[in-house]
Amino acid sequence: MQRDWADIWGGAVLALTGLAVAFWAGTRLEFGTLRAMGPGFFPSVLGAGLALLGTAIALPAWRRGAAPVPVRPGDLAAVIAAILIFGFGMDRLGVMLACFLAVLVASIPAPRSGWGWRLALSGIVTALTVAVFVFGLKMGLPLWPDP
Amino acid sequence: MTALEGIAYGFGVALQPGVLIYCLLGVTLGTFIGVLPGIGAMAAISLLLPITYYITPEAALIMLAGVYYGAQYGGAVASILLRLPGTPQSAVTTLDGYPLARQGRAGVALFVSMISSFVGSILGIVVLVLLAGWLSRAATAFGAADYAAMMILGLVAAATIGSGSPVKSFAMVVLGLILGCVGTDVNSGAQRFTFGQTELLDGINLVALAMGLFGVAEVVGNIRDAERQGSPERVSFRQMMPGRDDLRRMPGPILRGTGLGSFFGALPGTGSTLSSFLSYALERRVARRPERFGQGAVEGVAAPEAANNSASITAFVPTLTLGIPGDPIMALMLGALVIHGIQPGPMMLEARPEMFWGLVVSFGIGNMLLLILNLPLIGIWVSMLRIPFRYLYPAILIFVCLGVYSVRGSAFDIGVVAVVGVAGYLMALARFSPALLLLGFVLGPLIETNLRRALLISRGDPLVFLERPIACGFVIATAALIALSIWQARPRLRRNTGESDV
Repeated sequence: MQRDWADIWGGAVLALTGLAVAFWAGTRLEFGTLRAMGPGFFPSVLGAGLALLGTAIALPAWRRGAAPVPVRPGDLAAVIAAILIFGFGMDRLGVMLACFLAVLVASIPAPRSGWGWRLALSGIVTALTVAVFVFGLKMGLPLWPDP
Repeated sequence: MTALEGIAYGFGVALQPGVLIYCLLGVTLGTFIGVLPGIGAMAAISLLLPITYYITPEAALIMLAGVYYGAQYGGAVASILLRLPGTPQSAVTTLDGYPLARQGRAGVALFVSMISSFVGSILGIVVLVLLAGWLSRAATAFGAADYAAMMILGLVAAATIGSGSPVKSFAMVVLGLILGCVGTDVNSGAQRFTFGQTELLDGINLVALAMGLFGVAEVVGNIRDAERQGSPERVSFRQMMPGRDDLRRMPGPILRGTGLGSFFGALPGTGSTLSSFLSYALERRVARRPERFGQGAVEGVAAPEAANNSASITAFVPTLTLGIPGDPIMALMLGALVIHGIQPGPMMLEARPEMFWGLVVSFGIGNMLLLILNLPLIGIWVSMLRIPFRYLYPAILIFVCLGVYSVRGSAFDIGVVAVVGVAGYLMALARFSPALLLLGFVLGPLIETNLRRALLISRGDPLVFLERPIACGFVIATAALIALSIWQARPRLRRNTGESDV
């Protein structure tokens, strides 16, 4: 039997997050009293609550079975890489190159083989982006890399 | 201002060309988003949030609202033709809509869903006007303790009434509340969880959080799944004409669906998905031959569509009159208003009548536009379903990045989208609700402020929540909901030892 790993991991991560939040808020922020709550009051209480809830999710899941969750790390990586390429490349590479590269990377996991349509799609999306955002909405973005 | 004066005033606002065009844009975009499976109204509204910086607040609210109810119309199209709900609210429509389409009556099913949506919305508007006036008068008696208790009730209701495990739902709400703490504390000026990043001083950017949780996560989840759908058959306007028998079956379910929908829509925390499920169950119970349901019963399309559309209108009641969003989409709307410096609350009807009445009238205009868009032009939307997702999603990602960047020209926020996107994708896979996280995130600062104020006024005495009659009512309702969900969980735990829990 496959354990319910999704809930075990999810609950454990939430419980640890809750503990970290409660610890951070408890040590660095003033707790205050019920009458005059300090900035640490709300986060400390919430952190402790999250730690309890996370434990309550993870523990019963240990004795329970569940179908495995189909994670697609490749799809996720391509999408995140595309966002980062575009987000941090805009200033340095210019919108043209950053957008072309980002669309190309994003299209890698798409379920159709061949590079021709991917290059064409990148070109079309880049042209549309430049037309709408740079020329249309006049966002002040560099088109080409700064020499 | 009486309701009639208000509506006359609202026409003056909503018919301005600069507002009308955004109403049309909103409903068109909403239908488009609703038709495409895989992108919901949530993602669409977060995509549009940055654009609202450039337009007036009433145009912004009217456009975003148009996306929301427009998506309810469009969501039915994919549900009926492909058995793929375009939005969660239209999931029930697949039960009888798809069998109708298989019998070659797709056009009739679409017609029934559009007419039911329209009638449900129009009746929902009437309920909205009546309830909002009454509630905003009642709400002037609300104090800080009452607000805090009511918002907590809203969060508890959202966590316990929805589908899925209540413990996981509560955890997501609490995580959202914690994320809402990030930034400068309003009372003391202390920095919380900013880790020296100046970009975090004002808190986590709502647009970046919403785009990561919904935009990115939905794109990743659908890269493969949205390609397996196959192609729908063509539908023409002529095929949509219902027979006499179909017409006779419609009024009862539409009225019952509208009743349920407008009631549950106006309650904070429940929302339109629940009301469409409930109205389907109700129709099956009152039907003379319940075995027809699931085989293509017209009632099974009419009732849930009327319910979810009327609920999406009355959901604005708590948002606009109390400043409390009833569901996560309303939380985004509230966020959009706050961006424009407008704090919805009991005073809004008096102080900003152009917002409220303009919106009310725009609901009417927008629903007329939707009827025109969806009945004669249905063929266009059906052909939209033929565009493969692989051509759309890279462009969506670029739009996400530019949208977030345009808010304040910060590449840091795009980094936030990437981080939240990873978390959001994993959360969706493991069935942790990102929508509840967002609800907690938006309500968190409001709850904290009111809680602190209430306890300061009462000199630290927590009994204030039981002494004030309004707050006490909310506290009792909250306790009842928690008790109910614990009571419901017990037999399930015993039955489920060793069996999978889906």
